[in-house]
Amino acid sequence: MQTANRTPLPAGWLAAALLAAVSAAPTSAVAAGTAAGTVIENTATVDFNLNGTDLTLTSNTTTLTVAERIDVVVTLQSPQVLVAASDTNRALLFTVTNTGNGSEAFTLVIDSAVPGDDFDPQPAATSIYFDTDGSGDLNAGDQAYNPGVNDPVLAADASVDVFLVNDIPGTVVNGDIGRSELTAATVLGANPPGTVYAGAGDGGTDAVIGATGGSAADTGEYLVSDVAVSVVKAQAVADPFGGVQPIPGATITYTLTIEVTSTGTATAAVVNDPIPAFSTYLPNSITLNGLALTDATDADAGEFDTSGPPAIVVRLGDLTQADGVQTVEFSVTID
Amino acid sequence: MKIIWGVLILGLGSAAFAEQDESLEVRTVVQKEEVVVADDGSTERRLVPAETVIPGEQVFYTITFRNVGAEPVENVVITNPIAAELRYVDGSAFGPGTEVQFSVDGGRTFAAAADLTVTEDGESRPATAEDFTHIRWKLSSDLATGSQGTARFAAVLN
Repeated sequence: MQTANRTPLPAGWLAAALLAAVSAAPTSAVAAGTAAGTVIENTATVDFNLNGTDLTLTSNTTTLTVAERIDVVVTLQSPQVLVAASDTNRALLFTVTNTGNGSEAFTLVIDSAVPGDDFDPQPAATSIYFDTDGSGDLNAGDQAYNPGVNDPVLAADASVDVFLVNDIPGTVVNGDIGRSELTAATVLGANPPGTVYAGAGDGGTDAVIGATGGSAADTGEYLVSDVAVSVVKAQAVADPFGGVQPIPGATITYTLTIEVTSTGTATAAVVNDPIPAFSTYLPNSITLNGLALTDATDADAGEFDTSGPPAIVVRLGDLTQADGVQTVEFSVTID
Repeated sequence: MKIIWGVLILGLGSAAFAEQDESLEVRTVVQKEEVVVADDGSTERRLVPAETVIPGEQVFYTITFRNVGAEPVENVVITNPIAAELRYVDGSAFGPGTEVQFSVDGGRTFAAAADLTVTEDGESRPATAEDFTHIRWKLSSDLATGSQGTARFAAVLN
């Protein structure tokens, strides 16, 4: 220490070293780095010649102890989750990763009142779960998070999958977006990078808050896509003898009624109905709202499709409640 | 920002210096940078003793050598290993009146940084700062009685 004090540092040297460090420093939030508690010793050697004799000396040994750097990253895993008004227990999946270099416990917090969205999802009675079974879906076997009781303890580079669980208000309308945020913070408390907790690191080393501030968050999104479509299928049998017996040679006429029963738009709705076994499609029998459609794949809205198992296909376009009931009919004969 | 610095206890005394030969003293210290904010808001960087380090943090090693004997010494060469956990900061090695060389083979051979190559997957390529295992400072002139020299480098913890 005294030696350093009486040897002023050339300013240029320090500046150059600092600049070099900026470009050489790893993206510290990603790699865990050297394990906390590691001891790094350094001893210099000097060789010299005195009066024709080669001699070697060693210096004192300096000791550096690697302190625990606390860093964490939260990453949303779910794509946008499609929901309907009044849905309950809708889950968003996140991954919490310890990007520090020691074992650390983290507190998890949900915030569903994120500004900038159309509605606030309502956190469920139990709103944070671990993906205990690793399925990626919220299941009965997934363990509930209980703050201060089962805060996840993650080794360096380890991660845990976490669900945020929200209910959707009944007042939302189609197209509304609601966001919910997961924050993971060291149990020591989020603080500015460089904050030191003496002795709080692995093996009694100091713990130092890293570049992430010991806290990280990510936000998931619910999109209200609240379209309910009703499809009802009815059949009428006409036998060759004027009766209604389903015997060979009888004709069955199927009537499908399709209706949007909620707000929202069913985009590019298509009816695709396979021809039943032991029956044969009756040519040119497709109608849409009473208008005949040809069997060919052409400009009109429907066809008899034989590219796979025989089926009738009718394209209804974008449907809303205002379009009312759509009626598709076609007929088959019993083999 | 709250920073707690421990007290650095160096192995001062006879163990830190030449044991049998009283001709040279050699000491090493490790430091890191601290930014001090004054009342007027201005900042000052200074080096303070380091006893702990976190990944991504830079430390500065300074080796001081002094001729405490009655005769000049010749062919002074300082050698310092770079610990496996540390990455040498390119261009940081410095020593007044010295020629700086590096080793990429655990200290067996040394050469100027630009002349070093390493073989990787059967291909030879120029060595980079991450390949260096040792640094060597060769004093270009004799060290007279009472004279002192320094050798320094910076490294970042992996």
